[in-house]
Amino acid sequence: MTPVAITGLGVVSALGTGVAPFWEGLVAGRSGVAPIARFPVPAGTLGAEVPVLDARTFVRSPVGRRIDRLSLLALAACRLALVDAGLGPEAIDPTRTGLGIGTALGNLSETGPFLERVHAGRSANPLVFPNMVMNAALSYASIELGVTGPSALLTEQEASGEAAIAWGAQLVASGAVDVCLAGAADELAPLRHQVLHEAGLLPRTPGRPFDPAADGAVPGEGAAVLVLESLAHARVRGVRVYARLAPHPGFGVPAPVHGWPRDPAPIADGLRALAADVDAVVAAASGTPEVDGVEAAALVRAFAGRAVAVTAPRGAIGDFGAAGALGVATAALMVAHGVVPPTVGATVAPPGLDVVVGSARRLSVRTVLVNGLARGGACRPLRVAAVA
Amino acid sequence: MSRPVAITGLGTVTALGSDVSALAAALADGRGGIGALTLFPYRGRCAIAAQVPELTAGVVAALPPATGRRLSRPDRFALAAGTEACRDAGLGPAERRAAAVHVGATIGGMHEVGEAYGRRFTGVDRRLRLSRVLAMPLSTTAAVLSQALGLFGPRSTYSTACSSSALAIAQAAESVRRGAAPVALAVGTDGLCRVTYAGFDALQALDPEPCRPFARDRRGLSLGEGAAALVLEDLDHARARGARVHALLLGDATTADAHHVTAPHPDGLGAAAALTGALAAARLSPDAVDYVNAHGSGTPQNDAVEMSVLRRVLGGRVGRVPISSTKAQHGHCLGAAGAVEAVVTVLALERGLLPSTRGLRAPEWDDVDFVPEPGRRAALGVAVTSSYGFGGHNVTLVLGRAEGR
Repeated sequence: MTPVAITGLGVVSALGTGVAPFWEGLVAGRSGVAPIARFPVPAGTLGAEVPVLDARTFVRSPVGRRIDRLSLLALAACRLALVDAGLGPEAIDPTRTGLGIGTALGNLSETGPFLERVHAGRSANPLVFPNMVMNAALSYASIELGVTGPSALLTEQEASGEAAIAWGAQLVASGAVDVCLAGAADELAPLRHQVLHEAGLLPRTPGRPFDPAADGAVPGEGAAVLVLESLAHARVRGVRVYARLAPHPGFGVPAPVHGWPRDPAPIADGLRALAADVDAVVAAASGTPEVDGVEAAALVRAFAGRAVAVTAPRGAIGDFGAAGALGVATAALMVAHGVVPPTVGATVAPPGLDVVVGSARRLSVRTVLVNGLARGGACRPLRVAAVA
Repeated sequence: MSRPVAITGLGTVTALGSDVSALAAALADGRGGIGALTLFPYRGRCAIAAQVPELTAGVVAALPPATGRRLSRPDRFALAAGTEACRDAGLGPAERRAAAVHVGATIGGMHEVGEAYGRRFTGVDRRLRLSRVLAMPLSTTAAVLSQALGLFGPRSTYSTACSSSALAIAQAAESVRRGAAPVALAVGTDGLCRVTYAGFDALQALDPEPCRPFARDRRGLSLGEGAAALVLEDLDHARARGARVHALLLGDATTADAHHVTAPHPDGLGAAAALTGALAAARLSPDAVDYVNAHGSGTPQNDAVEMSVLRRVLGGRVGRVPISSTKAQHGHCLGAAGAVEAVVTVLALERGLLPSTRGLRAPEWDDVDFVPEPGRRAALGVAVTSSYGFGGHNVTLVLGRAEGR
């Protein structure tokens, strides 16, 4: 299997647009959580919103003029990642490049208004309907970047980012493509807020990952895309390699179909094979005690008491389906910089788990486990490691 | 170049019937499944579809009652088809536990969410019913299959519009080939909903009459719904456990047009690359193709592009290779289309029966054998089935008869 290198990162997060504000914010322990400002909500409702993106910065094709907000998030992350990897448009070999985009919920901004119009008995808007298709973000990215190789939109609830990146890594590892853009995007839109609000699921305080007394995850949004290429291809180009990424297909564990796994044992059994040599973990924890506790117990078991530094980016960037893509980017940056960022919002660590709290920790990080975990019992772990 | 993968289990739910034998019978006598749309009131240019009759509650018996009530229609279709396929393949508990699940879909719980949103929007409900909203994410279906059938291998859900489940099959085969799982269940599922119905209508892509693929006077597609499931495994693994092999997946390819969000590339570049790529992966020349199960959606533009691709790739043999679109019978099942048509193609290979292109009186291309109704017997060795989705996502599967290999 061809070793897979991470050579570019494109991040749009509540901490800012681009890798620098994201990483500096994480390391400084800054929080992207603030009262939601982009659309009307009851005063003080918390969210982790990304800065406004100007479509004109990222859209080049005439087709792209009708791009929706979610697709723009994904496209922006793709373009930022290509620049970061030193790949100009001319450097992309269309048929030897793959594209894997993840999203849990797709274009929510236009779903609410579309449903209202249809239920009011009015005809649908033919210009909006193409954006309602789940793979719109993939289509726009493919058209804008001119990628004609294997492409896929993957969706796996809270692990949609890990799922798309694992797919892209496998594609590169198999030799089917030289380069693959892989990542994910999800947005915080009125429809998601309305669902959470009317179900009484919005927390009153910022998320506190791993805190048994936390009152829930703060909804967030963002996108991250990685440029993945074979290590040999990266070496020929002479570019910086953040880290290596080992593809893993993931596994399933018993869980309620619409809820979280309750038993940590099967998760730990699946993670054990990936635990060797791991120095640090990027956890899925978001401040939802019922799942954070299960994740903590699974990690303690998988590492059999060995202390590894654990950080949970959802404390800073909020909870959303694509957050795991930002988690993989975090892992790559941890390896490249030798720093484990603190878990924003966490004050106490569960017994037996070395959660980094307060300030960042300097550490020679050789291997990071990104622990993707989704409702319905889908586990999408990934290993990100230093290049030998 | 890819190793053949055995297809050892089949399951379907479509407007043509609630299992594979009902589908096979309908294909054999050319029966149509397109009729009145009754799932929701719709006042537009047309109101016909290939709608699946409501499934009995028995489908969800393996799940807690509260979970069963929260399933979307596509979840139920998938569970019925997946259950049939696993039973057909004779998978025991240990084989199931290691099995991968690959789902292709585009709708998820959009019908349930849309109806709940409508009730909220019109003031019938004072809040959005969370129990209906929970069904929305597309990946819920894979969770349903995993938890109800005890499948705890790798799990993935793909959405590339109308090629979603063809991609799921290709990915399931790939996961078996590389050893990520000894067995994989590939499922396509989708249900009718107002969003897609109104959307396709707004694009003027729906034919007010049942669709007539390849006809000179075709006016668009007919939406369908349903699910299809295929169990895939390594051929040696299948033989070692004495499983019946329905057919072989010989090769596949996935390409993108990078052209437009709804229209195919005018020259069908991506579609042609998928077809030639899949044949190359199967190490077959276009001359080996005995039957083409076309995407054949029935829209003027799609059928024209597809025929130009087939003409280019098959060359002079285009008049001698039977080509049919069974969407005239089961409708366009969107995300489920690739899997439904893969099952149709497997049945054609296994039973030596070419399904017809229903309702085709005056074809636009009169030098092509579109298989007149009600179909006919033919010994087939190799068949291809292609799926093309919005955004220019193309997948072609090459399937082969199991015997003698």
